[in-house]
Amino acid sequence: MNRRDTITIAMIIIGLTLMVTSYFFGAAPFCSDGVECSNPRVQWSPAVFVLGVVIAFSSAIYYEVAKDKRE
Amino acid sequence: MTTDVIDVPPPDVAPEDTELPMGVGRFDRGWRTFIIFPIIGVVIGLIAYLYERNQGLVVTGMRDLGSMRGATWGLYITLVVYFVGVSFAGITIAAVIRLFHLEQLRGIARMAELMTVVALILGALAIVVDLGQQMRGIVNLFRYARPQSPFFGTFSLVISGYLFASIVYLYVTSRRDASRMASQPSKLRRFFQWWSAGYEDTSDQRARDSRTSFWLALAILPLLVVAHSSLGFVFGLQVGRPGWFGTLQAPAFVILAGVSGIGHIIVMAAMIRKSLGAEDRIGMDAFSWLGRALMILLFVYVYFIVVELLTITYQPSVAEQQLSEALLTGRYAPIFWGSTLALLVSLIALAVMGLQKRWRLSWLIAAGVLVNVGALGKRYLIVVPSQTHGQLLPYGVGSYTPSWVEIGVAIGLFSLGTLMVAVFMKVFPIIELDDDLEEVST
Repeated sequence: MNRRDTITIAMIIIGLTLMVTSYFFGAAPFCSDGVECSNPRVQWSPAVFVLGVVIAFSSAIYYEVAKDKRE
Repeated sequence: MTTDVIDVPPPDVAPEDTELPMGVGRFDRGWRTFIIFPIIGVVIGLIAYLYERNQGLVVTGMRDLGSMRGATWGLYITLVVYFVGVSFAGITIAAVIRLFHLEQLRGIARMAELMTVVALILGALAIVVDLGQQMRGIVNLFRYARPQSPFFGTFSLVISGYLFASIVYLYVTSRRDASRMASQPSKLRRFFQWWSAGYEDTSDQRARDSRTSFWLALAILPLLVVAHSSLGFVFGLQVGRPGWFGTLQAPAFVILAGVSGIGHIIVMAAMIRKSLGAEDRIGMDAFSWLGRALMILLFVYVYFIVVELLTITYQPSVAEQQLSEALLTGRYAPIFWGSTLALLVSLIALAVMGLQKRWRLSWLIAAGVLVNVGALGKRYLIVVPSQTHGQLLPYGVGSYTPSWVEIGVAIGLFSLGTLMVAVFMKVFPIIELDDDLEEVST
């Protein structure tokens, strides 16, 4: 696997990790019987989710634009 | 192997005067005249918005539910739903073209991608104008939004994720043409060089392009189904709102999104085909494919309308009866029957062409316009009547009429979309360049 593939896959994994973590562990918990259910456990979690989407899809641009060493 | 473009300028012509394909870089008189109208529309929209910004949402026709007998969601939310719906078909068709190698549709792929990006931007702007405190709304969404809320899915997935993914897709699939445009001397050469970002038309690069667009298309398709369904859930999950609560909302949103989007693509493709003289690039086989797709989706949507009507009229609760009367015979009847008629007439026209296996462009354009009129009406009927006539609390019947400010902003948004497409056409080929026509191997 060359550098391009490695970084692309790393970007996808980082993006997905941010999405999953912020959605399931950072945002408000999946319950509906208390104030703690309304507030996010970590503020800006939705922004982190969007950042994850941006990083994951940016991997396509990196994969396209980046040059391999041998090139 | 390298490639060069055939269209080399004659020696007596300055390099800057080279004619680029697809009318790119030629701001001729017809185009300049055409864009005056959308520019005027954008100015109207801007004036209306600044007035609203200065005076507050009181200058719109929206009022509180119940106590003020109004509707808190009006024309702006109708436009959000409509624009996001239009975006659906664009990226779906673009993705399907690449996934299933539908060569006859390749001529409309880029305009479909562009339509998605433009429609999503307009959808995002329609949300912004609907907020009394725009910055507070935007900041708090990214700070506090709950994943369980369909709004989270709608605004984080649709507006940010889906828009970003569509822009990436448009960029990735256009680099090759940017590189070919950059190989010709023109005033836009630097711009194309920047866009192509070192693209070299080698077999390696083409294979990489193919892989990237395939995986992007594969990633975007489920994303957009989730995103559009969650927009339906914004309404469909509200148990206390007759007319909204129901399992059909999400699939009906996706189907009507396909209907309005394909209608838009047909009209847009026909106009661009005519203005660029690109009859050979966008053939009738592309339009017949779009016509068949539109016909199938319309059949499904009409079935949904019938099921919905039967459900709300068979054994309705008091609130549902009030709502169905308002829709069928009351205040909203002209919009309901008008939009239903528009969809039915389109369906009949498409079915006749389908049975005859003879697709006429003029009929297809008419169907494309009509389904969008119908879709806009249906979106309005989804958003507004349940607020004014669907009260479970003991409030009287309400009303909502868009003010001149909302109509002005709506004109501005449609004009901005037209302007964006018109400008894009002049800075980048809106139809993918054809290998056989534009290039020769050296």
